[in-house]
Order: sequence, then structure tokens, then C-alpha cells
Amino acid sequence: MRKITFKIQRFDGQESWIQEYTLDHQPGKTILWALIQIKETLDPSLNFTASCRHAICGACAVRVNGQATLACETPLDKMLKRWESDTLILEPLQNFKLIRDLVVDWEPKAERLAELKPWLMPKDEFNKESGCRQSPEDFKKINKNSDCILCGCCASECNKLSGNNSDFLEPFVFTKAQRFVADSRDKNPVERLSAAINHGAWKCQHCQECVTKCPKGLSPAEDISNLRQEAIAKGLVEHSGVRHAKAFLDDIQKTGRLNEGMMAVKTDGLVKSIGNIPFALRLMSKGKLNPAHMFPKPIKEVAEVRAIILAVKESEKARNIANAKRSEAHTNPDIQRPKEAAK
Amino acid sequence: MMKYAFFPGCVLEGASQEAYTATTKVAQALGIELVEIPGWTCCGGSHLQDYDKTAALAVNARNIALAEKMGLPVLTVCNTCTLMLREAKHELDNGAKELVNPALQQAGLEYTGTSPVTHFLWMLIKDYGLDKLKKKVKRPLKGMKVAGYYGCHILRPPHIMGFEDHANPHSLEDLIRALGAEPVLFDARLKCCGFHSVFTSKEDTMKATGTINLSALEGGADCTVTPCPLCQMQLDMYQPEGKRAVNANDDIPALHLTQLIGLALGYTAEELGMKRHIVNTGILLAGR
Amino acid sequence: MLKFDILVIGSGGSGMQAALVASSQQGLNVALMSKVFPTRSATCCAQGGTNAVLKNADPTDTIEKHTFDTVKGSDFLGDQDAIEFFCEHMPETIRELDYYGVPFSRLESGTIAQRPFGGQSAPRTCYSSDKVGSVILHTLYEQCLKNGVNVLVEWLLLDLVVENDRVTGVVAMDMKTGEIQPIMAKTVVLATGGAGRMYWLRTTNPFASTGDGMAAALRAGVALKDPEFVQFHPTGLAGTGILMSEACRGEGGYLLNNQGERFMKRYAPEKLELATRDLVSQAIEIEIKEGRGFGEGMQAYVQLDLRHLGREKILERLPQIRDLAITFEGIDPIDQPIPIRPSCHYSMGGIDVTDYRTCGTDLKGLYATGECACLSIHGANRLGGNSTADVVLFGKVAGKAAAEAAKTLDFGSEQKVNELVRQWENSFSSTVARTDGPSVASIRDRLSETMWYNVGVFRKESEMKKATQIIDELIAEYKKCVVGDPSKIYNTAFVQYTELGNLLLVAKAVVMGALNRKESRGSHKREDYMNRDDENFLKHTIISKQGSQYKLSYRPVVVTKYQPVERKY
Ligand SMILES: Cc1cc2nc3c(=O)[nH]c(=O)nc-3n(C[C@H](O)[C@H](O)[C@H](O)COP(=O)(O)OP(=O)(O)OC[C@H]3O[C@@H](n4cnc5c(N)ncnc54)[C@H](O)[C@@H]3O)c2cc1C
Ligand code: SF4
Ligand code: SF4
Ligand code: SF4
Ligand code: SF4
Ligand code: FES
Repeated sequence: MRKITFKIQRFDGQESWIQEYTLDHQPGKTILWALIQIKETLDPSLNFTASCRHAICGACAVRVNGQATLACETPLDKMLKRWESDTLILEPLQNFKLIRDLVVDWEPKAERLAELKPWLMPKDEFNKESGCRQSPEDFKKINKNSDCILCGCCASECNKLSGNNSDFLEPFVFTKAQRFVADSRDKNPVERLSAAINHGAWKCQHCQECVTKCPKGLSPAEDISNLRQEAIAKGLVEHSGVRHAKAFLDDIQKTGRLNEGMMAVKTDGLVKSIGNIPFALRLMSKGKLNPAHMFPKPIKEVAEVRAIILAVKESEKARNIANAKRSEAHTNPDIQRPKEAAK
Repeated sequence: MMKYAFFPGCVLEGASQEAYTATTKVAQALGIELVEIPGWTCCGGSHLQDYDKTAALAVNARNIALAEKMGLPVLTVCNTCTLMLREAKHELDNGAKELVNPALQQAGLEYTGTSPVTHFLWMLIKDYGLDKLKKKVKRPLKGMKVAGYYGCHILRPPHIMGFEDHANPHSLEDLIRALGAEPVLFDARLKCCGFHSVFTSKEDTMKATGTINLSALEGGADCTVTPCPLCQMQLDMYQPEGKRAVNANDDIPALHLTQLIGLALGYTAEELGMKRHIVNTGILLAGR
Repeated sequence: MLKFDILVIGSGGSGMQAALVASSQQGLNVALMSKVFPTRSATCCAQGGTNAVLKNADPTDTIEKHTFDTVKGSDFLGDQDAIEFFCEHMPETIRELDYYGVPFSRLESGTIAQRPFGGQSAPRTCYSSDKVGSVILHTLYEQCLKNGVNVLVEWLLLDLVVENDRVTGVVAMDMKTGEIQPIMAKTVVLATGGAGRMYWLRTTNPFASTGDGMAAALRAGVALKDPEFVQFHPTGLAGTGILMSEACRGEGGYLLNNQGERFMKRYAPEKLELATRDLVSQAIEIEIKEGRGFGEGMQAYVQLDLRHLGREKILERLPQIRDLAITFEGIDPIDQPIPIRPSCHYSMGGIDVTDYRTCGTDLKGLYATGECACLSIHGANRLGGNSTADVVLFGKVAGKAAAEAAKTLDFGSEQKVNELVRQWENSFSSTVARTDGPSVASIRDRLSETMWYNVGVFRKESEMKKATQIIDELIAEYKKCVVGDPSKIYNTAFVQYTELGNLLLVAKAVVMGALNRKESRGSHKREDYMNRDDENFLKHTIISKQGSQYKLSYRPVVVTKYQPVERKY
């Protein structure tokens, strides 16, 4: 009989240890099946949470060999195949306070969620008695992000959050915020936007872990990007992140290529960049920062590039396809839930 | 002969010129023809879309359309370029094509979807073949312990990249082995180096960078190698700050993927521009 | 000691509505308690939609039609005054949810989209793609955040405290610390959801639906009403019971037996697969019983065939269904039929609410709402889309009434609640210390098999007598059962142990009600009494518990406009 070994991180409130459990292999099962099997046949003191068992309640997220996933819908065989091993390591989510074994504390997250005021502030034209109005197109803009089940997979693997969580929020918090910013019924997107900026929207590292881990096919990193764009559109431009992003557009329109040499100056301003002189000298000494290269020659098609950007923007205004397309859920290949069709 | 529309990306023209040199040399030695896309522009470096999403789509549609005109697949050597181009392609193939083509047509271009976008690493594995590469190795990197550092954008998000399993990739390790070196699987091999937030979140970035280098050292690696010039910049140029952020003492050279290959193919460190690195690569080459 | 004017237990749609309404009143101290983080509650599972006569999709729809559909759906066991009240107040409740931010799907006009649903004469089911429960639950949670509702997250209700014929508080376990805590409350709202997990091996319900509130009410001397009415959804996945939504049949799916025959033509020649849930479930079980199913025993099934709908339609209309079939059964409905079998889905019965205008019970200060309660709206068979509706409306009703009542009440004495805390502490220590005895899972599985085989889709006296006896045995064994984890911190083994105790208590009431209802009505199908018997059984079963004895009585059904007629679809 093929045996599967699970090395599970245990925690009793004080100490942490790894405990090994072995089960007989059964085909077609899930990680949650294994956890339940262990609890019911080997060790009742192992703790984890799960409720709906079909990826809608968000209770069962754990890390399998370092990757956050919903236990209930993650096929065991798929994991065994991925890791080419009959041993799997199960751990609690990262970036959460640990309660016991695989159980993490969501209460502090609720407080952090509230920071971005994730609730509808209905426009004055609407009232409780007659509800709101929203076009099907506008509903589409909030449909995808309403799929978030607060499972925490994104937060667990977020590189920025792991680095420092004091000036950033969980990716799902930004996703929630974006859902309200995009809601045509809401009267106060700016409040969420400035809160998002103040809570680190420009500090996301763009590592795409959140997008990769989301079991519902959401893209928190893209939501952060959308929040950034919206913030700029609403005039919240006083930020190094804005200057940095803008520098790319400016350079492309000016020469077609990025002027790295001037990037620091454009992003941080001349004065702050001077503080980086030792770094600049370091690069210069190796020829990495070539003063002669400071002002690259434009490519000869630069006028054409400008024209194309302009023309696409014009036709986009006329037809908002690209954005609509962009907000569809993607397929998370870990789970292989085919999302070929729009919901 | 294999032939590609080469998209070098801005850093290869600037701070990472050595990667440009190494890429050209390696391609030459392997008999792969790289034709630089005439008039390519910056891909937006994963920032442009935050300022202007449409502009990012437009410039990359143009970049790909230029390659289509050449009738060649696009070859990149930067993770982020690959992501930006593939993301644009994904959108174009899912409805944005109609939006962009009228604009491209004014410049005599059209996006039809005929040119795939690939990365040098993928190309070697899928198109060229590691067996064939092995045969070209003149100076096996015997005894060299190499930590393959992927960087984010060659793996994630998988629905755009999808070349291999994002959680347990092995293309870099396979390649390292093909060159005769020994791959080191280290803890931080799939973490983010922080490059894209170096201006907005400097401390975190340096911590991330320091952690990766330290993790590679603790894994017993002699050097890191990465398929992304941005990651390389981060691991190399910011190594002093990274070390400070995690209280580390030792240095670890960071090589571009093409430099490592170049070494195995017999080029000298000098020829591969390794003098341009901040962290001395000398230790690595002692006795070679 | 923790003291609240109003304590709401359960943070599903119903509990959150109650807490929101109660806390909107000035000067009242409200708390919401839940054994799971609020957004994990069973309400999140609802896919299809929520009924309300908004007339958006069909201007000719009326409150009367909704009322009649519900009455008829209930097989005339629903109280018609309560149903009238329900249907009348649903539209305003949905509009308010819209105002709260629920992302409903929309019509071109910008109003809330509505779809047709089983057993209804107009398209009145408001939906949000295929996730209405989830978005309602999350929106209500957002409102709780907004209004700073005090939530006791991961606290487990153990018992209600009764003194001088009124509820004075509860005993609960703070799961994170394992402390058993006394809580004083002037009024308590139970919103603890259903008890579908008594059919553990065959249910669409999440693990948390263990009838805790129903059992606590029974122990506190409050009766259950109509517990024998358990809805079996015809199409749960064969392996896990996970729900394949009614939309599968709605979109034209076939049900096939092992002969490849569309067997529904023999049971409902006109409506075929589109007959009501009770009818279709019964047909499937007959097929299996008579050897025309696939597989054996608990694993037997028939097939739900969507292939003829074609790839396009499946992808466009049933993407979620396809996802679930692939993930949990390894079957792509585009290429293969899906193995399905009826699965326990909903408890029509529940805590006996004696005043639908307040959701009050016979115990002063105690209110019940949502699936744990029985008002009775759903009678012998609930219509799809009527539960989330019930939940969001009557949560408000209960919250408001509990708040009003709290204003007129004082706190009870601390002595009684402390006493009960000590009892539970002792029980905890002695229970977790036991090392020899049956496991929680073994008793639970036997309960589930007993219920499935003897009190399932089809019922008859001999089998139910057997079930009564087995459940009594299990209740006795339960007292010796081993938890296996002595720790206090987040002891899920102990939680599951208490949940099993609750399931056993409620199951006993289900069997008692079923055994004594010698007729077939709605979901209650007796092989020995095949027909409805209005003369003798147009009445509610009322079961209460005194010590270890259960007491059975009946109460007439309230009939206003609609005299019972034969139910045909
Ligand atoms: C798969 C599925 C699909 C469904 N689809 C539909 C549909 O399309 N339309 C429809 O109208 N209905 C549908 N239903 C039914 C409907 O979802 C439920 O009946 C309804 O949501 C119940 O809500 P509730 O507020 O009563 O309780 P629940 O949502 O069940 O919440 C119960 C709450 O009580 C808490 N609780 C329980 N015990 C304790 C305790 N001991 N201590 C503390 N807290 C406790 C839980 O933590 C939870 O917060 C569906 C049900 C299922 C399972
Ligand atoms: S992309 Fe940004 S938000 Fe997402 S995981 Fe990475 S750092 Fe976190
Ligand atoms: S965004 Fe995705 S991963 Fe993050 S909490 Fe929501 S559902 Fe989970
Ligand atoms: S990623 Fe950087 S280097 Fe690559 S093209 Fe884009 S901007 Fe230039
Ligand atoms: S690893 Fe570094 S360069 Fe690569 S994507 Fe992440 S941050 Fe960018
Ligand atoms: S158990 Fe609900 S999401 Fe996995």
C-alpha cells in the first residue's frame, strides 16, 4: 500500500513542532480529506478549520509545501505529483497571528480590513426604501471582486506584508477597497483611495503572489494598480510612486526608451537623490551609470509611438473593452477550475 | 538556424550592458540568430500600467506587432519584459485586438497574434534543447554551486506565464546542471527581490534583497544566477544595502543567466562583462 | 462578567441582520457571537437567489402569487398569516440590502435582476451571478464593520440560562482560550442555522450546521416545531453531497438511471426533471432501491446528464457547476454525466417561534430566526430562494423585537449562570480526560447512517422504530465518548463533541416527529402512509424535552385564504 506522509506544523499556544502522520494513499482525495482523516483516525488533537468544503467559506486555507491554498479543493494527487514526493509539509498561513496548529486569528485582520472603509456609501440619490440603480455594465465592474471569500491565501504569501506589515495592508483589503471604488452606487471613492494610498498602495512589490494564490481567480495586485490609477485620476499625485510610474510614460513618449540614469532624480527629486550619491558613485565606478548615457537618443519612430498611444486611448474612450476584459477572473492552475466562460 | 525577434529591454542598453554582451555572445556560440526589433520601446517595466494602463497596452501591442512584421517569435531576456509583453498579448487575444489595431494600422502595423513571446531560458529548454546545449559546453562548471534565483515575473502570475509549475519550477536547475554546475535549492529561491518597490519601499526592498542573498549563501552557493537583469541589479548593485538590512557579512556574486552559460561555453569573465559587477566575481572564477 | 442588553448567537444572514438592527438603536449594548468567523457561516453557500416580489423581471407578479406559491410549496403546512407577512415585507428588505451594497445582478433598467425558480409562478428570485448567499453575507459583515458591531468571534454557545421563566444569559466557550464564560443578557436571539449535519455522510450543509441552537433551546425547555421536515435536495454530488444547484435541471439537465432511461417520465410525466425537490428526490431513491442506480449502499447514485446542452451552454450558464464537478468528482459534465444523489439540504422545522411578528418563543426574552427557527413559513417543503429571504427579513424582525424587549427588562442573577458555567467546566474536564470509549466520529457516522437509511427520503414505521432505538443507544454511548484532546486552546475535538451531542438531541426529535406523523406531506414521505391526511395531520408537530423525556403535542396550522388542495406540478 502506498503511504503518504504529512509533516504538519503543530502549535499549542506556546511551542511549535513538526509532527509526522502517515496515511494510506487513496486516489481522488483532497488535502482537507487528509486533515480530517488524520484527526479522526490518528490524532484528534490536530486542529484546523473548515466548513463549506467547496471553496466558498474561506475557512480552510493552509500552506502546502510553502504555498497557501484552500485545503478543501486542492487535490492531494496533484500536490504529490507537483512535488514528486509522497511527503507533504502542511503549515498555517503566514502573516497571521497563530492560535493553534493550523488555526490562525482573523480578528486582527477584521480591524485592518476596516481601515479602508469597505462598505457602500450610497449616493444621495438612493435611499433605503427604494434601493439603488446600477447598469449591468457597472455591475460587471464589481462582480469579480465580490468573489473574495476572505480566505487569506493572498496575505499569506504577500512579499510586502512579510517584509513589514506596519505600512501596508493585506492584498484582499485592497481588493475590497477597489470593489467599492468601482461601485457606481458609491459616492465616496476618494476616501478609500486616499486611505489606500496612506496604507501603502504604492509599496506593493508587484510580486504577483496574491494573483497566483487566489483560489477565486482574483488579482489583488491588479486592484492595487487600479487603485493607483484611480488615485492619480482623482488628483492624488503627490507620491514618489506616481512620479516613478509617470517617468516611464514620459520617457517612452520622449525617446521610446527608459532613462534609468535620471530615474532617481525624477522619482525622488534632486535633493533626495543626492543622498544616494555613494550608490551612484558605486555604479559609476563600474560603468553601470554612464553620465554620457544620461540623455539617450530617441528612437526614430518616437512620433509614431506617441501617435499610437494617443489613438488607442481615443478608441478606448469610445469602447471600454480592454478594461472590461481585464477585470475577469483568471483560472488558478493549482485548482484547475476552468473559467473559460464569463460568469 | 533558429531565429528570433530580439527584445533586449532598456536595462540591457544601460546599467546591464554586460547582459547584452553576454546574450549576443551566447546566441552566437549556439547558432541562434537574434535580430533586434527595430524601433522597439520600453515595455513599461511593470510601472507604466499604474499610471496609464492603455499606454502600456498600446506600446506593447506595437512591440509585438513589429516582431510579427518580421515574421519571428519575440525573444526576451528580462522577466519583467516577458510579463509585460505577455500580459499585453493576453489582453490582445481576449478582445483588445480590435481596439488597438486601427491605431497600429496608421503606422503600417497590425497585431494578429502570430508571434509568441518567449524568454531566453524557455527558449533554451523548449526550442533549443538542453541536450544540444550540453554538447556545446566547452568548460563544464564542475564543482560550482549555483543558486538559481527565478524572480517573480518569469513564474507569476501563472495564467499569463505558465511555462512551468510556479510552485516547484526546475528550468533553472536543469539548465545549471546542463552546464556542469551543481544547482543549490535555497529557501528564498522563489521570493521577490523587491526591485519594483525600491523607490517607494526602500527598507523592505533591501531586506528582501539581503534575505535572498543570505539564503543562497546559507544554502552553500558560490553565486546566484537569474534570468532577469532587474533581479540581477537588485542582488548585485544593492547587495551592500541588502547585507546591512539583514546583518549579513559575506558577499555573493550575482550572475546573469547568459553569463553563466557564457562561462560554460568558454568565454572569459572579461568577455562577459563580469568586471562591471559591483560584487567581485573573482572568487567564483579562481582556478577556472 | 460580560453583560449585554442583546446577545445574538450566530452570524449568518439572520444573525447579522438581527445584530445590525439591534445595534442601530441608541443606548443598547449588543453583541454578536459566532463559532466561526462571520463570513464562514452557512449563508455563504447559497448560490441560486433570494425571493421577493420586485416585479422587475415580471410586472404581473404579485405578493399574493408569492404567498400562494409558498403555501402550496409548503404542502399547506405553512402558517398563512406568517407567509403573508413574509411575502409582503420581502421587497423592502431586498431594496435595503441593495442600499447596503449587495452586488445584485442587474437588468438593463438598472433594477435587480430576477430569475425563475422551482415551484414559483413568476421570475422573482433575485440573484448575484451564482453566489447570492456569499455576497449577502459579506455585505452584512461590511455593515457590521461599519457600525462597529461587537462580534465575539469563535465563541461557542454551550447553553442558555433560564431563571424565573425567562432567559437571563448564556454559557459559552471562548474557543481561542478555552475559557468557559458566563454571559448575561436581557434578551437572546438564536440564529444558529440548520442541523443538516445529522446526515453527515450525505448533506449539502457545511460542517457548522449542527443544530446547536435547536438543541440549546430543547435543553432550555423550548419546543421544536415540525422537526421531521427535512429537505433532501435531489442533486448532491455522489461522493461528498456538495450541491449541484437546481439550475442544472432548470437549464434542461436529464436524470438517468443505469438503463440510460430518463426515469422522471414515470414519476412526473409533465414536469419531468423540473418537478419539485421532494418529488425528484423520492424518484431517485426509488430507482436506487429497485436496482436501477449505479454503485452500492451509501455510495449508490444516478446520473445527471448535461452533455446534450452542449459545451457552449454549459460554459455560459453553468460554469460553477462544471467547476465543482471537475474539482470534487473528477468529472467534466461536458463529456460525462455527473453522479448525484439526494442529500440533506435544509431543516424546515426548528425552534418553535410562537409570534412571527417578533420571532419570539414561549420563553421570555428568547427569540429565534433563520434556519434554526420555525415560524412556520416553509411548512413541509421549502421553495428554493425562500430561505435566504426568510433569513434576511426575520433577522431584522427578531433583532428589533429583542431590542424593544431588552429596554423593558433587567439583568437576571449572576448566580444561576455561574452555576451552569461550573457544570460545564466540570463536564469539560471529565470529558477531555476520558481515554477509553467510542470516538466522536464513530458515533456521528452511525447517527448519519441511521438517519439516512431509516429517516431519509422514504420513511416507514418499522425503520423509524429501529432508528429511535439506535439513537437512544447512541445518546447513551455519547456519554462515554472520547474527545482525545485535553488542551483548552482552540480545541476543535471538544467543539465537535458538543456538536455531536446537539445533533443527537435534535435527531431524536426528528425521528419522533416523523414516526408520529402518519401521512405523507412535502418532504416527509411515508411508505406506509402514502397520502396527505389533512383531516388528522394538518397541524404542526411540537416536541419539547423534559429531562431525558421528549413530549409530543400538536398545534393547528393557521389557514387564512388558501384552503388545502391537492398539490400538483
Ligand atoms: C449549499 C447550500 C445552498 C443553498 N442555496 C440557497 C439558495 O439558493 N437560496 C436560499 O434561499 N437558500 C439557500 N440555502 C439555504 C440557506 O443558505 C440557509 O438556510 C440560510 O443561509 C441559513 O442562514 P442562517 O442565518 O439561519 O444561519 P447560518 O448561515 O447557517 O449561520 C449560522 C450561524 O450560527 C453560528 N452558530 C451555530 N452554532 C453556534 C454555536 N453553538 N455557538 C455560536 N455560534 C453558533 C454559526 O457560526 C453561524 O454563524 C442553501 C443552503 C446550502 C447549504
Ligand atoms: S503583488 Fe503586491 S500585494 Fe500582491 S503579494 Fe506581491 S507585494 Fe503583496
Ligand atoms: S483575494 Fe483571493 S486569496 Fe485573497 S482573501 Fe480574497 S479570495 Fe482569498
Ligand atoms: S522591464 Fe525594464 S528593462 Fe525590460 S523593457 Fe521594460 S523597462 Fe525596459
Ligand atoms: S524578483 Fe525582482 S525583478 Fe523580478 S519581479 Fe520580483 S521584484 Fe521584479
Ligand atoms: S472549507 Fe470552505 S473554503 Fe474550504
